[in-house]
Amino acid sequence: MELKLTKSTVRSIYKAVISIALALVVTSVLFIATGANPILAYYYIFVGAFGNLNLTVETLVRTTPILLVSLGLAIAFKCKVWNIGAEGQLYMGAMAGTITAVSLGNSPLTLPASILVAILGGMAWAAVPALMKTKLGINEVITTFLMNYVAIYFVQWLLSFPFRSPDTLFPESAQVPQAAVLPILLPTTRLHLGVVLAIAVALPLVYFLMIKTTFGYKLRAVGENPEAARFGGINVSRTIFLALVLSGALAGIAGLFEVSGIQFRMRGSLSPGYGYTGIVVALLGQNNPIGVFLSSIFLAAIFNGSSTMSRVLNQPQGVVDFIQGVLVIFVLGSEYIMRYLEKKGVFKA
Amino acid sequence: MMEWALILGFIAAGIRTASPLLLASLGETVVQRGGILNLGIEGAMLMGAFSGFMGAYLTGNLWVGLLTSIIAGVLTVLIFGFLVIRINLDQVVSGLAINLLAMGLCLYFFRIAFSQGAFPYLGDLIGPYAIPGLSQIPVLGEVLFNQTVFVYIGLIAVPLIYFLIFKTSFGLRLRSIGEDPVVASYLGINVSRIRYLSLIIEGALVGMAGGLLTISMFNVFDSRIVAARGFVAVSIVILGRWNPWGALGGSLLFGFTEALSLWIGTFLVGPAAPSVSLLLRMLPYVVTILALLVGGRKVRGPAALGSPFSKE
Amino acid sequence: MPLSPIFFKKTKFEVEKVSNASTESDSVTRSDHSIFVRGIRKTYPNGVVANQDVTFSILRGEVHALLGENGAGKTTLVKILSGCLTPDSGEILVNGRSVRIEDPIKAVKLGIGMVHQHFTLIPTFTVAENIALSLSLSGRLNLDAVKGKIKEVSKNLTLEIDPDARIEQLPVGLRQRVEILRLLCQDVDILILDEPTSVLTPLEVEELFKTIRRLKSKGRSVIIITHKVKEALAISDRITIMRGGRVVKTLPTISTNEAELAALVVEGFASSLRVDRGKPGEPVLMVKNLSVKGKRGEMAVKGVDLVLHAGEILGIAGVAGNGQKELVEALTGLRRIESGTSLLKTCDLTNRPPKFIIRKGVSYIPEDRIRRGVVLSMSVSENLALKNFEEQPFSKNMVINRESIDRYASDLISKFGIRASDPCATVSSLSGGNIGKLVVARELSNGANIVVAEQPTAGLDVKASEAVHQKLMELRSKGVAALLISADLDEIIKLSDRIVVMYGGKFVGEFTHDSLDIQKLARLMLGSA
Repeated sequence: MELKLTKSTVRSIYKAVISIALALVVTSVLFIATGANPILAYYYIFVGAFGNLNLTVETLVRTTPILLVSLGLAIAFKCKVWNIGAEGQLYMGAMAGTITAVSLGNSPLTLPASILVAILGGMAWAAVPALMKTKLGINEVITTFLMNYVAIYFVQWLLSFPFRSPDTLFPESAQVPQAAVLPILLPTTRLHLGVVLAIAVALPLVYFLMIKTTFGYKLRAVGENPEAARFGGINVSRTIFLALVLSGALAGIAGLFEVSGIQFRMRGSLSPGYGYTGIVVALLGQNNPIGVFLSSIFLAAIFNGSSTMSRVLNQPQGVVDFIQGVLVIFVLGSEYIMRYLEKKGVFKA
Repeated sequence: MMEWALILGFIAAGIRTASPLLLASLGETVVQRGGILNLGIEGAMLMGAFSGFMGAYLTGNLWVGLLTSIIAGVLTVLIFGFLVIRINLDQVVSGLAINLLAMGLCLYFFRIAFSQGAFPYLGDLIGPYAIPGLSQIPVLGEVLFNQTVFVYIGLIAVPLIYFLIFKTSFGLRLRSIGEDPVVASYLGINVSRIRYLSLIIEGALVGMAGGLLTISMFNVFDSRIVAARGFVAVSIVILGRWNPWGALGGSLLFGFTEALSLWIGTFLVGPAAPSVSLLLRMLPYVVTILALLVGGRKVRGPAALGSPFSKE
Repeated sequence: MPLSPIFFKKTKFEVEKVSNASTESDSVTRSDHSIFVRGIRKTYPNGVVANQDVTFSILRGEVHALLGENGAGKTTLVKILSGCLTPDSGEILVNGRSVRIEDPIKAVKLGIGMVHQHFTLIPTFTVAENIALSLSLSGRLNLDAVKGKIKEVSKNLTLEIDPDARIEQLPVGLRQRVEILRLLCQDVDILILDEPTSVLTPLEVEELFKTIRRLKSKGRSVIIITHKVKEALAISDRITIMRGGRVVKTLPTISTNEAELAALVVEGFASSLRVDRGKPGEPVLMVKNLSVKGKRGEMAVKGVDLVLHAGEILGIAGVAGNGQKELVEALTGLRRIESGTSLLKTCDLTNRPPKFIIRKGVSYIPEDRIRRGVVLSMSVSENLALKNFEEQPFSKNMVINRESIDRYASDLISKFGIRASDPCATVSSLSGGNIGKLVVARELSNGANIVVAEQPTAGLDVKASEAVHQKLMELRSKGVAALLISADLDEIIKLSDRIVVMYGGKFVGEFTHDSLDIQKLARLMLGSA
């Protein structure tokens, strides 16, 4: 994969580095305030994420849903379609895929069929706001977000009543059949096939789609100037529709991989907010597939590493939420810092 | 007679559930009239809810909680203002960033403040305050004048915000910025200043809306407490055509929907009852989407809404 | 600065004195000048020197025309006077006092106000609301007081206007009047009008000139910017000619003539353009009974018939907002056709998507080239391929061939003289003129059968305009048909083989180049036969 370092790419890298650095500095202050040594804290976060083979694999396992969701969001964001409904699309995809897997039982078709249905589920859930946006001009930010709530309550209802597992006490689905489980590639770890599919198939495909094809060209043209794109003969509505629906598809896959690779059941707590983490990752990666890949590893590492760090240093859980929150502000704020540095001549504009 | 009491109780509950939506949508109406689409309102509400809770919990004083929620709302919205006014960034992305920031901060600080498993609960700090005289009016008195202070603030804010937008010079300038900030700035109007002022007004209202969720409605804090009310408020602004009276109508509609979805649940009996009452929780969101479908298309809002403006 | 009636009288007196004196222009003393500027220099960030050593004055109660081609520096000079720009060096004296004019507000305080080419009105506001915006009021909004003020000022100058009318419902001529009234409500006594006639019909121009004369009779000074020699002669007391950022000369109007002025304006540039007539061939575009809705759902084009022949330039004359834009958008597939048909030879274009129409060889040069013509953050080559990136060799099976796009772009860049550092540079790094060239290059190199050109020379200087005209005629001689929509009547008359007049969404008249009756044309543009 060639990586041409144009001026704007270099600038994006600077911005990402600046924002990560600032987020870590602010988090250090927080560590000091809560009585932890920041250097030690970051050390344990790193160790927790990459300390041994198993931990590294776990980080990759964590990367998978984040990467899939954020690749989809990068497509949508590139076209300035602000899909913040990935969480709901993930749930609907996972739910649809689980129902398919459970009802097909142990058949060679089970896995491919459930993946396909998960894709369709995510797409269908994204298609509703996509149609409302392209046909009626209704702001997709509002509708995608509201549909998250509809999806999560709907899934909760399905799991509490019609599709409740017969063998457990919790509102969750029955276990998916063995044929629907993503095979483990490295014994004694949780490295499932989905990890490889995400990194070695989905990532290059999305890269190719966004950088090398006419569709990628259309995404950019529509995102930057829809009016000029329309004048140039690009079907703006169709491009927007496809961008949103594609991001829904990837979220759907992300959800299914969590079921068939990790949890083996559909649960109301399937995602700890991957749909929102994906937004942070897509923004940090500046909607570039490679940037998104690196960013999703970064956030997955913090996700996993911080729980180790919390245990060792006796810190409250979930510092990842804090880092995620300040990171996204600095990703935006880094533009200001870059402009300032360029004005001062530190960087060439 | 029994039915009457129930119905009046329901109406009073509808007005109560409408009040956070009303405060938030009034605030959003003000900034959108000035051309700013603040989707960070969800996050600002969450910050208000958290700070209000902490303020009230630590001091046991309602008014301290109210004050801290207002301060938190204003500060959050000002961060948003810095992003979109000073750095001139995309308003939608900045709003989303604010929501993520708020979610991260509130989740984490709540965990820092209370050990895991703790379930901090605010006692009933605020009960309904019956307005002497007015609350004696039959029917109207019970549903309208026997409410919490937040409800009164929301109802008084409607004509005040209307006056501000349509009957003052500030409002005229604000609206001109919302239509064409370039022209407004040429005419000597300080676009940034007016936008910051409008954001401060919004921050106070939205922070209060968040605070009222924790202080007066639920008495607990949870990071999911706002539950898309900010986005519903943005929808209300569109459906209410950027008019405070429209915002009142929209808020009542959604407030009653929400109250209804809970109310029906408590009356259901039989084996299907839990199932139906769980399904009913989707109702407010579905109704909002349907309302946008019907009333949200081809509306003509402030012409410059959401578009960036820089002085160059 | 409120003006008392006594002040008016005094001013009038001075005008008479001055107009006598100004024939021997140097004998005018400084105190007679309302504004006196000396040695103004202004360089733009992109290095263009827009004003060099400009010395200029305006006297009390005079109408002063600033004459020059586009790019001569007229607008820069008046923007400096009205506080929109600050000069790099030079001195400005207002009523004999040296001043710094940092912003338009300061200018208004000094009694200087400007009506821009693009109006600074809020379309959804009423006249009174728009004027109230400029009056720096505070607290409660008292629109009745504003209306009173408007009535008073408009009565004084017989400039009638309904203060409750919404701007978007007013014709352009009246909007301009609102701009003037607004300045008068702010007690401005030196009014600067930047190309005020460019948006007006001939009859509206007459109306404007009457207004200017009335302003003068009340002691106001008016600076009018124009590139039309005849207009300068018709309205002004003195004329200052600018060229290449410098003042060439200031002359009293009575002592000069058209030929002298024309020579001063474009000295050193001999027009090489020979306008000839086309030889129309077969009909290529046949439009029947076309109806199109406008932005607000109103019927903007009402049953228009049109035939365009190969090798013909058809001009559409009309005041902006009479359905021209909607017509063009319908023909290019950008707006739905409600009824009627549009045929390209035998191929039905009615309500086909833009891409289909582009592929059939309909090119379109939009008026707003930056907003509609290019994607600023994308590269020059990507923009040049905007209309054919989905065709071979630029892409195959959805995969883009970057090399072939870059090669195509390099070719066009050199052919059309686009100044870009390289084909991969983003369009945002180009100057406005070069963006215009880019759009023209793309639209005219796409094997077009029909070119729809909307204000193709707006914002271009004389040479660039001529190059565009040249190219249009070249295409015409190759059998391409062109539809020319322009607010500049001179341009339409110069180039068109045939002219139709559009008013109220209909074609209300047609002229061939030889049967042209300008008086009648002007009346038709206003809807009176």
